[in-house]
Amino acid sequence: MESYFQLFFRETKVAVKRWTDVLTGIILFFLTAILFPLISDSGKDFLLSIVGPIMMFSSFFASLLSMQNMFKADFQNGTIEQLLLSKKSFVGLIFTKTLAFWLFTSLPLILVSGLIASIYFVTGKDILIIQMTLFLSTMTMININAFTAAITLGIRYPGALMTLIITPITLPILIFGSKAIENSILGLDISGPLYFLTGMMMLSLFLGPWITASALKISMD
Amino acid sequence: MGLKAIYKYGSPPNFYRFVTRLEPWCLYFGLLLILIGSAGGLFLAPKDYQMGDAFRIIYFHVPSAYLSMSAYAAMGFASIIGIVWRSNVAFSVAKSIAPFGALMTTIALLTGMLWGKPMWGTAWVWDARLTSEFILLLLYLGYITLHASIREQKKADRSASLVAILGIINLPIIHYSVVWWNTLHQASTISKLDSPSIVGEMLWPLLVMIIGYMFFFVAVICRASSAEVLKREKRSSWVKAI
Repeated sequence: MESYFQLFFRETKVAVKRWTDVLTGIILFFLTAILFPLISDSGKDFLLSIVGPIMMFSSFFASLLSMQNMFKADFQNGTIEQLLLSKKSFVGLIFTKTLAFWLFTSLPLILVSGLIASIYFVTGKDILIIQMTLFLSTMTMININAFTAAITLGIRYPGALMTLIITPITLPILIFGSKAIENSILGLDISGPLYFLTGMMMLSLFLGPWITASALKISMD
Repeated sequence: MGLKAIYKYGSPPNFYRFVTRLEPWCLYFGLLLILIGSAGGLFLAPKDYQMGDAFRIIYFHVPSAYLSMSAYAAMGFASIIGIVWRSNVAFSVAKSIAPFGALMTTIALLTGMLWGKPMWGTAWVWDARLTSEFILLLLYLGYITLHASIREQKKADRSASLVAILGIINLPIIHYSVVWWNTLHQASTISKLDSPSIVGEMLWPLLVMIIGYMFFFVAVICRASSAEVLKREKRSSWVKAI
């Protein structure tokens, strides 16, 4: 248990030292989301009708870009190799690392999303629904992104390739996430999409670290 | 059969011999069936009373759409075998399926668009089937690009196989999420083909075409994977003996 906490604290230190990386994700999320009312119709009805897809799109984009170098530095300075050699379960260590990464790249997005939601004239409990949807979907996305970052580790410019691999896999989450937000704003039932998102989150938390670990092992040897 | 077959045909020389013997049979049988099916479809089958002659593109559209899906399933299956038994042969089969699967998906999409333009008035709608076919194309392209961009053969094989397996797990989820999204989102657009259920005279060329396409596809995969195996094993003694 202790070594998992140690790894977690180490990740925290790294994130604090590289605070620009964390900030990049937030800025990307904020800017892509705010661009739509700036460049198109900023009427209330129109913005309320597109806020769901835009939230999902911006969080997808921000987490994709902030995660494409998730393992790169650790791979180059040998940390991944040490984790692989340690007696502790590699899958567990990867799980810890992914959770820490979620805390520094996705949690800020969820906090900022409240502000963006009010820019889009969303009010009341819909803001909480948006944050909850983002929580569920970023938890899933982070596992998919970690897998893709692991598998493209040896490639020099993985950006476009990662997008190509991630997009089809993430599509269901984006669809149901924006569905949940739309339904909430229209006053419809949101339990269906949220159940689906929760199910996908559990599936990805269970399978994700395991697949990521095997992808890292492939990239290491 | 089963495990024994995997061990036997997992060895490259055995696989090569088996595949080169299988290929001509599949090729000629497939070509024959495609000829019969095309003749039946293009000349013998009666005109559709709603769509006229344009419906005949179905004889190329449906088999390729059908194959695009089963080819992905075959690729995923080969990838699983490759990952579990670390079989080089299975990896070469998966690798050689990918471009042809992508080709079939493209043909299905293009013929569908050609068909849709006169029939529906538009080449593309965000209908569930079209969307998931398009996503399938993206999955194929992801596999091919990943395989091409990793320099080391073994690493490329195993990484791309992981992606293919993940795609297999995800394909049903993607398909149903698109279907649900679509049905919830807008009124059902166009359900093709089911208005007048298809008659026997139109149906048999279609079935012949599907089976012909499958045999032809197997033949193509035999040729491509045997070439791939030869390329990978070019330093071994049995290849030098050929």
